[in-house]
Amino acid sequence: MKNEPSLKTRREFLRATTLCGALSWTVPSFLAHTFSVLQAKAADLATQPVTGRDANILVILQMAGGNDALNTVVPFASDHYLKARPRLALSAKSVLKLNDQLGFHPSLSGFKSLYDSGQLAVIQGVGYPNPNRSHFRSTEIWQTASDANRIERYGWLGRYFDNACAGCDPTVAVNIGRQMPQAFAARKPVGVSLDNPQRYRFMSHEELAADEMETSKAAYRKLNKPSPSFDDGLDAGGSIEAVAGASPPSGAPLDYLERVALDAQVSSDTIRRVTSKAGNQAEYPVGQLANSLKLVARLIGGGLPTRVFYVSQGGYDTHTNQSGAQERLLRELGDSVKAFMEDMKVQGNLGRVLVMTFSEFGRRVQENASGGTDHGSGGLMFVAGDRVRAGLLGSYPSLAPADLLNGDLRFNTDFRCVYAGVLESWLKTPSAPILGRQFPPLLCV
Amino acid sequence: MLSLLPASKWNFTTAAHLLNRAGFGGTPHEIERLAKLGPARAVASLVDYEQTPDPTPDPAWAKPDPERMQKLAALRQAKAEERQQLFMEERRLQRQRMSELRGWWLDRMAKGPRPLQEKLTLFWHGHFATSVQKVRDAYLMWLQNDTFRRLASGNWTQMLISVTKDPAMLIWLDQAQSRRQHPNENYAREVMELFALGEGHYSEKDVTEAARAFTGLGLNRVLQTCEYRPRQHDDGIKSVLGRTANLAWSDVLEQIVAQPQAARFISAKLWRFFASENPSEALIAELAARFRQAGNDFKPLLRAIFLSEEFYDPAVVRAQVKSPVQWLVGSVRMLECELPPPMFASRMLANLGQDLFAPPNVKGWDGGTTWITTNTLLARYNQAEMLVTGERPMPLAADQRPFRAMADRFNRPDRKGTPVDVAKLLSAAERAGKATVIPVLEKRLLQSSLKPKQKQTLRAYLDSRTAPNDTDFRETIRLLMSTPEYQLT
Repeated sequence: MKNEPSLKTRREFLRATTLCGALSWTVPSFLAHTFSVLQAKAADLATQPVTGRDANILVILQMAGGNDALNTVVPFASDHYLKARPRLALSAKSVLKLNDQLGFHPSLSGFKSLYDSGQLAVIQGVGYPNPNRSHFRSTEIWQTASDANRIERYGWLGRYFDNACAGCDPTVAVNIGRQMPQAFAARKPVGVSLDNPQRYRFMSHEELAADEMETSKAAYRKLNKPSPSFDDGLDAGGSIEAVAGASPPSGAPLDYLERVALDAQVSSDTIRRVTSKAGNQAEYPVGQLANSLKLVARLIGGGLPTRVFYVSQGGYDTHTNQSGAQERLLRELGDSVKAFMEDMKVQGNLGRVLVMTFSEFGRRVQENASGGTDHGSGGLMFVAGDRVRAGLLGSYPSLAPADLLNGDLRFNTDFRCVYAGVLESWLKTPSAPILGRQFPPLLCV
Repeated sequence: MLSLLPASKWNFTTAAHLLNRAGFGGTPHEIERLAKLGPARAVASLVDYEQTPDPTPDPAWAKPDPERMQKLAALRQAKAEERQQLFMEERRLQRQRMSELRGWWLDRMAKGPRPLQEKLTLFWHGHFATSVQKVRDAYLMWLQNDTFRRLASGNWTQMLISVTKDPAMLIWLDQAQSRRQHPNENYAREVMELFALGEGHYSEKDVTEAARAFTGLGLNRVLQTCEYRPRQHDDGIKSVLGRTANLAWSDVLEQIVAQPQAARFISAKLWRFFASENPSEALIAELAARFRQAGNDFKPLLRAIFLSEEFYDPAVVRAQVKSPVQWLVGSVRMLECELPPPMFASRMLANLGQDLFAPPNVKGWDGGTTWITTNTLLARYNQAEMLVTGERPMPLAADQRPFRAMADRFNRPDRKGTPVDVAKLLSAAERAGKATVIPVLEKRLLQSSLKPKQKQTLRAYLDSRTAPNDTDFRETIRLLMSTPEYQLT
């Protein structure tokens, strides 16, 4: 089951290359390119969903603000923990026990049931050398997979797209929201953002204009065509090649705008078609994260050729009154992801979806006087899917005061080892060209 | 570096650039007026804004209300049911006021007599990015906005002192909850990282020590003012940025501003906001030197920026991605139309990614090309339709008739805007002969031109109508606004 799909037929080969699928990095790029164009030109409703079904999908879930790892996977048996957290400590009785030392936060029942059914890996003690306590810098480090002392312009997923997905449809990367995550920043920008598929298109009062008149929509399409080379038709297929062919450096704002304008045009047609095909088939909780995952589920169900989705949940910066806020957030997190996995199962897509969470840092071991915790280090990652190595991975950092680094937990797993594992065993691409050097992959799949 | 723009280079294009950046743009008539003044007087007319009276009244509720606060505080003891109901009322009231406040500010930007003061207020709001999501009080958000406006082009130390004591900020970055025993580090960190020095120009030790020095600063929740509580202050020896003593909170701010990096940090940020994203090191050094020479006052620095040849460099002009606020307010000014009703305008801005008084986080909006994603670009194009025609386009295909009722609800009279008055933008003669329409609109809306192919497209659109009416002209305007070019200023 964990075998990579092998390419047996030309048909499969075509699909895989079109979707910058499993082995496209082994295919000479001009070939991949040619096939992707052929495929795009032949694109029809019948093949699109089928091809989508071949490839693995990664869903990145950002827990923004710096989640307090200690009260997420709770070392309830540790005296150091109880001592450092006189107000915030969660008791052995209240946590959802994983073993005789650790338990999930009581509101993580969604994750507990995934854990029990072998669909959740918990990676403990995740971080990087010279941890930075700034939200923004640390987020940047996670998004670009850079060393703490180096500024990197492109995101780790952006570099993956640059390396492995040249010539892809813009919807190879989909962000749910309004602002592109830095993780997607690429030399050749790809990816689309959306949150409401109904409104994701050029709308006009004029749709019923008389036949002989030029419609507003037709004029919009022409106005947003970046150069004469795109003249032969702007149906979803034809322009895929155009995007790949002419790739001006992403320097000037106008170049950037023109590219986004074209991607918007191409992807809005596709997305409308795709979302009209699939609904949600699981009970989701109410909330923004659940809504985002519901949309992801519909896009997957409808066969969008996306390799990476990005969703986020904010609010983890709990400097004050942490308990209520974190309880609410973790409940939403666990319940939403659980519902999403159920939806995937009903769709028959469970086997090819992996959800990976991250947060820019953990928090200080010692609670502060405002019933909260300040910025610290030592984080956690969750990886959910049918094919994960379920259970506790890595090891829980020591809380003994002598083992702390400036009052913070010490990491033992570099997050880039997790990225390397996901790139190699899930996205089937060598990780070193993307992460800058070879990190020993932590195999969570 | 930073040479003075010669008067010979002053023309319609440079005047338009000045008005776009130091304000929110304007009509061809307003631009002509600035062009006639010459650079020095044109810049002075914007920078010396105190000389123009601003009679805009404050919102009626913009004052402390101790009685209400006491009532709210007493609620903690009330019965659950009563508490629930009063909290709901309070939330409704705050929502209503926030909507008014957003409308009030947008109105100042679109119609007020001091465009640069409002532009600076917007700069400071993005810089000291504070969100009502946590502050939850419209009066405090107004009060902070008023502080930004009052000190907009004043002194840097004074601004930092006022912001540190600002009630909304005390809540936003948790200073209100900091105690001597366990100082809360949130404000101490951000004041160095995001407000005054930048990441890498302070140590973790500086953060923890500054947090100690800030203890004692708190919030009187009834009077809604900053309150200093000596008993909460840690009066031990602290060491911040190389200075060691029993530092008070104001000592820390002075020590921060005394760093050479402080002048570089804020002058570079101003250049990025007003001019271009990548100033050279030499330019930053020059800006910082001028800022320090002027005793850390902003007004001389702003004047120097707007009078510099560098500010009018071809690589700077029309190379900035409009922020959603610039897009909305600028469009309203150029189209000589009304702002949409406040509820609508704020929702529009939120959809475009700039919810006023609710920035995504304390770093504010990243700006530049990050304003633009496929999602927000399509939203701009669609909201252009709303601005120009006064009606929201429906997200429905023509064959989805059962949804007509929803369409009608969307466009209820109180939710409608006012359509653009075409006669203000195009004279009768211009409307009669199609040839001049596109160049006239280009001059008004872009102060520059489209690509030849795009012009042909717009012309073809008009030509396919035998006698274009106002609806057709409005759609032409909307189409011009639905181009990559229109997103730049």
